[in-house]
Amino acid sequence: MSFLSKLRDTPVYEAVDRYKKLIIAFLLIVLLFVVGEIVLETFFSLGQILLTIKLASFIALFGLCQMVVIASGGSGLDLSVGYMATMTAVFTAAIMDGQNSNLWLAVLVALGLGIAVGLANGVLTAYFKLPPLVVTLAMANILQGIINAYTAGKNITGRPSPVLQIIAAKSTGLFPNILFILLILAPIVTVIMNKTRWGLKLFGSGANQTAAYLSGVNVKMVRCTAFIISGTLASLMGLMLIGNMGIAFKDMGSNYVMPSIAAVVVGGVSLTGGEGNYLGVLLGAIFLQTLTNLLVALGWGDAGKWIGFGIVLFVLLIVYVSNRRKR
Amino acid sequence: MNKQSFLKRFISNPDFSRLLILILMFVLTAVLQRNFFAKRAIVRNIDSFTPLILMTMGQAVVIISGGLDLSVGPALSLMTCVLTSVMREGVPISGLHALVVAFAAAMAIGMVNGIGIGYLRIPPVIVTFATSFIWLGIALFLRPTPGGETVDWFQAFYRIRNVETAPAFLKAFGETIPPSLLLVLTGCLLWWIVSRTRTGRYIYAVGGNSQSAYETGINTAWVQMKACMINSAFIFLAALFFVGQNRSGDARMGDPLTLKAIAAAVVGGIALTGGRGSVFFALIGALIFSFVSKIIFFANIPNAYQTLFGGVIVIVAIAASQLYTLSSRRSGQESKLT
Repeated sequence: MSFLSKLRDTPVYEAVDRYKKLIIAFLLIVLLFVVGEIVLETFFSLGQILLTIKLASFIALFGLCQMVVIASGGSGLDLSVGYMATMTAVFTAAIMDGQNSNLWLAVLVALGLGIAVGLANGVLTAYFKLPPLVVTLAMANILQGIINAYTAGKNITGRPSPVLQIIAAKSTGLFPNILFILLILAPIVTVIMNKTRWGLKLFGSGANQTAAYLSGVNVKMVRCTAFIISGTLASLMGLMLIGNMGIAFKDMGSNYVMPSIAAVVVGGVSLTGGEGNYLGVLLGAIFLQTLTNLLVALGWGDAGKWIGFGIVLFVLLIVYVSNRRKR
Repeated sequence: MNKQSFLKRFISNPDFSRLLILILMFVLTAVLQRNFFAKRAIVRNIDSFTPLILMTMGQAVVIISGGLDLSVGPALSLMTCVLTSVMREGVPISGLHALVVAFAAAMAIGMVNGIGIGYLRIPPVIVTFATSFIWLGIALFLRPTPGGETVDWFQAFYRIRNVETAPAFLKAFGETIPPSLLLVLTGCLLWWIVSRTRTGRYIYAVGGNSQSAYETGINTAWVQMKACMINSAFIFLAALFFVGQNRSGDARMGDPLTLKAIAAAVVGGIALTGGRGSVFFALIGALIFSFVSKIIFFANIPNAYQTLFGGVIVIVAIAASQLYTLSSRRSGQESKLT
């Protein structure tokens, strides 16, 4: 007992205790690679790791949308990010038409669409007090409907501008370019969330909305802004997706919705709000992509992927969420 | 009590406006749809409304118990896949096996959701979001593409006259009362029985105030789990109808029903905060929702716009219900905060 209490005072223990969720996420990734290497014998290779990082970057960028919304509290989640990205990709494909000179217009359209949809989500959830999941699920339906109506009876034409393709699809040396975007974005996000007044308001609204309200924070405005940020980021991700794929198609973004939420959970961010740790989300994204690779390599396909994601999410929810809600 | 005050109370009741909207939608559809009162059209309308009605009633039970189930669509898909995987064409007894296995699967689905919501106390929306992908994955595993085998008599859940071996009086009975209506009545009977028991009252108590329900000695986790299992039973009935109608299983077919069922329950006056509303008014919500879809269909809106309008209707319906509830409870302090 005295040994344990002594151990508890050491700085190492404190560090471990503070970062235990990150460590768990990291160990899970290592575990997957070890299992993959044992079962498949060719799983652990540089090419595999770099591919994993590239694909995980897309999940992590969508995960950023979710993290901002989740951190603002009110049991917020954004299920419309997938179709938001798809809609931007479909609309901007024709605008860009393979020309760099049209990129600025495409970015403007993406920003406009993202802000509009985010604002709609934010107003409906924060001001009308509707459940975020239902609202964003319905919003996903609406966006899907708009895409269907836009593409009815014709092919989606247009190609991304070359600059986008370089950013999203190509590599510099060994490393995929999208990784550099992430490496620039991650510190900026961390600083904004942890060092600025706005970050404080965001976490405050999530942790205790009454306390935040009583100390003068406009909680509704903060939550609405979180949804606008999520919508805008998701819309810009549409540009990245079309840059990576080279063409736009109807369902290109919908496969990212579930992983983006799962990445946040695997990263140890509380779904009840008031927390945010982008490094955790990055590790979560890498874990999920590695899991996908492993299941695909084992030949389990889509079925295995969704069962795996579902079970991982369920188990981690049990570990992370249920223990803090004891009576 | 004089007559006037009774009338006044009746009109100011929120349920009155729901009935009024239902009658309005009924009349509108009757005007727009040719041969609305022809027997064939009536049967076809009941058929197309049945899945949503059953799913909405099930969802309503979960919402009243203080939960919300985002996995009902994939759960329905999974049950159709289980049914069509167990059945063997031309082996009538395999239909019975399929019924037993699928019902067991339904109860297992309800139990897993119930453990997550009730015993582990994970936010319902999130845990059922997670399980929905497990159901989807298992369904895809069983049926990567739509298809599967069914026995001939399974069509009795859709049209008894299609079953060659059915006796004449049963066929005649099926022509008078369509099996889909019987499935809805089975669902109503199920809830009517439950609502007469202690469990029915506990479901309201737990959804209304879980803490005080717990303190009065109710096993809240067990009650929420039972609510999830009742929901699964409703989904099972819907799955029977689907397999009878389509004679195949499809891992993706239930997806659109999740959102519709939640929205229809809200239109029917089920408060998303739990503890309020009536399952039978959820049925009326589902009817309103179905009639509105019909009217949109008759308004000659192109097929491509149907998803779009579906989403818009959900948001408008939920927002309207929410504003209605907020305005009738203005005095509450908590609505001013945040």
